[in-house]
Amino acid sequence: MTNGIETLASRPIGRRAALIGLAGVAGTLSMPWIARAQAETIRIGFPTPLTGPFAAEANDQVRSAQLAVKLANDKGGIAGRKVELLVRDDKLNAGEAATRTLELIEKDKVHAVVGALSSAVQLAVNEVTRARSMLYISISQSDTINEKDFSPYTFHEALNPTMTTAVVARHSFKKGSKVAYLVADYAYGHEMLRGFKRAAKEIGAQTVSEILHPFGAADYSTFIPTILSSGADILCICNFGRDQANSIKQAVDFGVKDQMKIVVPVLLHNQRLAVDPEVFEGVTGGANYYWGLEETMPSAKSFNDAFRAMYKGTIPTDYGAYGYTGVASLLMAIEKAGGTEPQKVIAALEALKYDIAKGEQSYRKCDHQSMQSVLVLESKAKKAMKSDADLFKIVAAEPASESVLRTCSELGFKS
Amino acid sequence: MSFIRNAELVPAPARRSLATLFSNVSRWRVPLSILALCIMPWVLPSQALAVNVLIYGLVAVGYNLLFGYTGLLSFGHAAFFGAGAYATGIAIGAFGVHWFIAMLIGVLVSGLLATVMGMLAIRTRGIYFSMVTLALAQLVYYAALQASSWTGGENGLRGFTVSTLHLPGFSVNFLDPLVKYYAIMIVVAAALWFVSRVLNSPFGAVIEAIRENETRARACGYDVERTKLLSFILSGILCGLAGTLSAMHLSIVPLDSLHYHTSGLIVMMTLLGGAGSFFGPFIGALAFLSMEDIFSLWTSNWQLIVGVIFILFVLYLPKGIWGTLISWGKSR
Repeated sequence: MTNGIETLASRPIGRRAALIGLAGVAGTLSMPWIARAQAETIRIGFPTPLTGPFAAEANDQVRSAQLAVKLANDKGGIAGRKVELLVRDDKLNAGEAATRTLELIEKDKVHAVVGALSSAVQLAVNEVTRARSMLYISISQSDTINEKDFSPYTFHEALNPTMTTAVVARHSFKKGSKVAYLVADYAYGHEMLRGFKRAAKEIGAQTVSEILHPFGAADYSTFIPTILSSGADILCICNFGRDQANSIKQAVDFGVKDQMKIVVPVLLHNQRLAVDPEVFEGVTGGANYYWGLEETMPSAKSFNDAFRAMYKGTIPTDYGAYGYTGVASLLMAIEKAGGTEPQKVIAALEALKYDIAKGEQSYRKCDHQSMQSVLVLESKAKKAMKSDADLFKIVAAEPASESVLRTCSELGFKS
Repeated sequence: MSFIRNAELVPAPARRSLATLFSNVSRWRVPLSILALCIMPWVLPSQALAVNVLIYGLVAVGYNLLFGYTGLLSFGHAAFFGAGAYATGIAIGAFGVHWFIAMLIGVLVSGLLATVMGMLAIRTRGIYFSMVTLALAQLVYYAALQASSWTGGENGLRGFTVSTLHLPGFSVNFLDPLVKYYAIMIVVAAALWFVSRVLNSPFGAVIEAIRENETRARACGYDVERTKLLSFILSGILCGLAGTLSAMHLSIVPLDSLHYHTSGLIVMMTLLGGAGSFFGPFIGALAFLSMEDIFSLWTSNWQLIVGVIFILFVLYLPKGIWGTLISWGKSR
């Protein structure tokens, strides 16, 4: 062994080999400079929970975000620069997300961050980006991000619980309705409940029961007798992900649908796909996007077509669409600003009017909330479905309006 | 078997020099560890990862004092880590306390919590000790979840970003990743020196005696209960210190830092690196976090790879990475 190493070490290095080696080293060292000369790539960090209970939604987000990047690069880049998406797994853990975001900013030198899929995670990312004056487009529901956690560098592209529940309640609650709530005991559930109760008060609906269930619960049978005996005519289930399919399935098994209508804040595409159509039949809920919008809206049609072309005929889902609108609106603003200088991009985002998937959208100046259309969907019966993807009927598509949001002064902003 | 064969191959002087090398390594363990920490941010893929290695390394070293040296398997150390982090965050965010005082408060709170939990837990032994620590830690977790006006509940604690470290006479930019790394490293290095001193002291010998044979240690006249409690508190304080550093580093405190997953992670890192060795837990944290960082870029099934590696270690190298290296060196 040692002999081998010695002969290797004592073997003279030929001049030719040395020259090739030197050229190689010089080439490697000068690479970054050559690359920089062609104008720097616009790098967008994308932390999202690729592992964990929201992995299906996260993968949809990534695919849609990649579509937005591809479309930008196909037309020659943004402001003459190529765009790159750096996807990182945040494991649905706020600490992990903060670390990944730090890495994206410090090591990968990203120009903006888009992403996150839970309230806690987006607030963690927001905290890191705010301290470092980094642009951040948040694409997950939260009310807090518009109030206490507001950052001038953060824009909230997702719906927020206030606007979702305001629109859903308008189309499902009536004066005198008796509502029972089944709520996941964490930030998402609490914010949705708060929104629904605010809307119910305006409409004149009354709350008859309010039950909290733990996040990720598998068994809902203990809650259902209370709901059945409450005399409610609407059951409002405020939870997310797998919890939604599980709780609705068990409520239906217990015959809840015979007595009352089931309403959810966000009717999830992937959760409906996870169970039989009979389970969700007649369930009403909100959505930021549904592919069926293409029948009436040209921008939805072009988004769907581009998605189908890139992903072999599949269709974008609700949370997936956030990935597209989030990245695409950011790129439009960078284009307008002529570069990635944060203050200029912020000004451009505040002034931006965009219609890329779901009708007219714009960011409200005071809290940077995206004012956008909110859909109300009803899950179809099996016999009414024209294809496997034909899941929902669009009950209403409320166009963007400030009236469903809390006012700026209510949120504590001047003006 | 194998070491006899090896011994025949290696000539006598070389064998002696290897042995002296290892005894030198253990004598100079603190300066050598600090040297290793100094070069870490230049070797690892990112500074954020390097800071996490520092923090989790310190947690694992603190945990090892109780698990590796005293022989008590606790499943509740996330409570001290989280308590230190929350106390620091709340002190800065809600009361506007200077960062240094806030860190002291964090350490103090975790020390107090460790005293209470320790007094309850050391009455039990073996599996019951693990279960009691787990249960008490879950109690802390749910307390933090419910007291959301203080802790931010599910959303975690926010709003206490420290962007500049004000020290008497000068101040440094804490947002600069390298500055942050070395600032945190100074604290971790001091803690490592402290642990080394504790292990070299008579107290260090007593806790090892308790691990080896509790009855015998008692027969020798040592107060076993008090020693165990002291070891529990010291271990809790070190984890609390790591928690305060984590709060300063991430500028958030996630609720997950109190979760039993974190406790499990600490045990895993300690086992991977080598329980009962001074620097082993640090190596464990380094190995675990680097694997996580690198594999999760390749595949979203990274947990599978890390899990298989962990199982292989438990089956074939129960002394962990560092422990195996050391016993291999000593056998020469």
